[in-house]
Amino acid sequence: MADCAEKGPAAACENDDWSSEVLSPSELFAARTRDHKLPARGQKDFLPDGTQRQSEKLRRGLEEHWKLVSEERVERQGSLVKAEWKPKDNVVVLKCPAGKFWQTMGYSEQGKQFLQSEEALYLMECGNVEVFYRELPLSVQEGYELMLSNRTISLQQYQVFSHLKRLGYIVNRFDASAVPSLYERQLNLVQRRDKADRHHRKRKRSRSPSRSKDTPEGQSQTGENTEQKAHEDAMSSREESQNSGSSTCMIPSERAAACSMEVKQEGTSEERSCWWDSPLVPQSEQAQDRQPHSPQRSGLKWDFSRISFPNLGLDCPLTSLQAPDPGLLPSAVPARACDVSAWLQKLNLREERLSRREREQQDRERQYKRGVNEDREVRSCRNWQDYKELLQRRSRQSCRKWPAHLWNEAVKPLTAPGQATSTGDLLQQIGMMQPSRLLDEAAGLVEDSGGMRISFDVYQADTVAEFKKSNPGKPYSRMCVCSFDGPVPDLRTLKRLAFQSGDVPVTYAVVDNGDISFYSFKDFQLPTDCCH
Amino acid sequence: MELETEADGKHEAEMQTETIMEMEREVKTHTEGESVERDPESDTRTGEVKRERETEPVRVCVSGSAPLLWRSADLRLVRERMGIVGTLVGSLARQPRQNCRLGRPLQLLLEEARLLKDTGRAVLVKGAESECDDDRVNVEVEESYTKHLQHSYQEQGRLALEEKKRVLERVMTERLRDEALTDQPIRERLSSLKSSFSFPHSAMMVQLCTARARLGYAPDERDWLAADWPLPRDNKQEVRYRVYQDLRQQGYYITSAGKFGGDYLIYPGDPLRFHAHFIAVCVPIKSESPISDFLCLARLGANVKKTILLCSPSETESEGVIYTSIQWSGMV
Repeated sequence: MADCAEKGPAAACENDDWSSEVLSPSELFAARTRDHKLPARGQKDFLPDGTQRQSEKLRRGLEEHWKLVSEERVERQGSLVKAEWKPKDNVVVLKCPAGKFWQTMGYSEQGKQFLQSEEALYLMECGNVEVFYRELPLSVQEGYELMLSNRTISLQQYQVFSHLKRLGYIVNRFDASAVPSLYERQLNLVQRRDKADRHHRKRKRSRSPSRSKDTPEGQSQTGENTEQKAHEDAMSSREESQNSGSSTCMIPSERAAACSMEVKQEGTSEERSCWWDSPLVPQSEQAQDRQPHSPQRSGLKWDFSRISFPNLGLDCPLTSLQAPDPGLLPSAVPARACDVSAWLQKLNLREERLSRREREQQDRERQYKRGVNEDREVRSCRNWQDYKELLQRRSRQSCRKWPAHLWNEAVKPLTAPGQATSTGDLLQQIGMMQPSRLLDEAAGLVEDSGGMRISFDVYQADTVAEFKKSNPGKPYSRMCVCSFDGPVPDLRTLKRLAFQSGDVPVTYAVVDNGDISFYSFKDFQLPTDCCH
Repeated sequence: MELETEADGKHEAEMQTETIMEMEREVKTHTEGESVERDPESDTRTGEVKRERETEPVRVCVSGSAPLLWRSADLRLVRERMGIVGTLVGSLARQPRQNCRLGRPLQLLLEEARLLKDTGRAVLVKGAESECDDDRVNVEVEESYTKHLQHSYQEQGRLALEEKKRVLERVMTERLRDEALTDQPIRERLSSLKSSFSFPHSAMMVQLCTARARLGYAPDERDWLAADWPLPRDNKQEVRYRVYQDLRQQGYYITSAGKFGGDYLIYPGDPLRFHAHFIAVCVPIKSESPISDFLCLARLGANVKKTILLCSPSETESEGVIYTSIQWSGMV
């Protein structure tokens, strides 16, 4: 510090205020060779004992402390970026080209480079930027007073911001509208938005799992491609409606064709009739002459009694399948017969070889366990409905044997033997409380005006090299700044903020007179015995 | 400031050799409004300046609801005279990109600011909201700033030139000693130095002031009235303030203890050299708390190896504050 009145030639504006901290030119010049290391602090003592040694240590410690604290920032004029504070917009506009900090901070608009107020203040404190206001440079104190207000960000938010920046994180302001919604995330639209330009033209192969590997798909004409793609989209997103009428009617039949593994050739049919001929393809525009083999047609109903699916099991010697009716396939997809013997060979039809222990276990079980397929009553059921009725009948019968002292009282058991079909079902019946997740019923919560809100997005420090301001990606965490004076966030606030943040965890930065502590709430489920 | 450092150092050493009771007496006398000069060895001039400095109140700038101190002299004054520690919350000028040691501003507790104000050592100020349309450039101030910059540039240029000359002369004398080499090219460079030397503007060193420099505009700082105190004064604040006052008068150093689950951390000496002994929790004298709260505090204290101090100011001012300490002694 300089006592300006003492030193040599003082300019007219040098004041005689003894408390001024302005450095003289000689001091500025000498500051080029300043030490940049921080002195290490020694061990503390337990109790003051009034000895000279202790007081000497304290004195030296304090001197060193004041020396560090009173040091002023001195920078080369050429390495400073000049900027100007615009109070109307609460932003700082750069007058010189930005330096290295531009990689992670600031934004461009109409050809000019801007910095947010907290970013500018942080860079001022680091000595990278010199901000002017009304043609005069701002001191850090004035920066705090002008740039931190309730129109920009508060002092506590700035303390959290600078704390994280000093650790190396990339911190941006939170923008609620930029959070992808749950739906978008489910559809993976977030990634698609980035790569949309690069990939959508190249997609030839469909992603549909039901596509037969035998169906030739090499022949790609654009019309067919779009149809295929449209088909894909309809199957996956269910939001795009088919535009061509013929493709509408082809969907069910195409699905049916896809479900089977066969392609049969028209005309060269074997003895067995094609299963798709007998049914009744539900359409009206389908040309009658395209299906010469289908004699019966009655309306828009599938007659399953007349559909016989090809049996490719062990008991059937069929090894070749006919080509399907080309009328059932999209246009320009040729149909051909195929030989499934190769596929049959891949089936593992070997006898299961049990170890001795497994055989013994099986023998033991055979004594008391009855396979459900051997049950006569079960075999007489014709469909699922019958089977369920059988189960219910059986459980009702067993009801009559229940002990009276349990079931005739005011307090009954929660479940009866045989009432649950699985362990999971049983646990569900006897469960008193349902597990809840943090995001249950969080969608409808409305933000109150004075409530906590998310202030910043934080990105990790090691991503600086690939960080792009235009597309920052998913943040590492989102910060909500509060203080120990304020209330502890209640469940409602936790739910609201967790929902607002999407799939990014929210961290609560609690500021207590300059000290910052970080808390976060982890949502996890208690383990259950089995999945249900 | 450098002139006073020496005297301060001696004064400081003097104070430390005395007991803490001595320091307490000193604080008490200040509180009573006397300005006692306890430094008989310094000459009258420094004594005068010191007296001036002691009586001039420190400006505490309030940002939001946080009182801040910006000038190093003020930081030093409140620590050495009043035992007020505060927390540094800004970036350190020497190494701004680290979190271990921070720099100015110093953030004070509300109680610290209130103590300063009540004892007359400080005034609370708040920068006025800048009016957006007041973008006028004060030509006079701007001109004086430009002149200051120009003067600095010239001085630094001159100093750079001198340094370069010194370097060349030193090289020359070294060469003279080593008689094999001739010093002719050096001489030529020396003589042409003045004409060939250039000191670009970009090489000039510029200061980025921390505290408000007089070179800039001084926005209308209005002195605060009592009504402008940042937070409403409720019972909780009164309790805290009375506890703070009492502990400070007894000579303990106090900082904030939010991270420890209490109100204050109490140090037997300057926090620079000593660890905290107590965690003070302010409890109103008539309040009721479940025993589980005390158990939590006791557990906390045991974990961090500090004694929990429950502080309750008594109803009447004269009776002081009642302290209860909790220490986990284990079960037998």
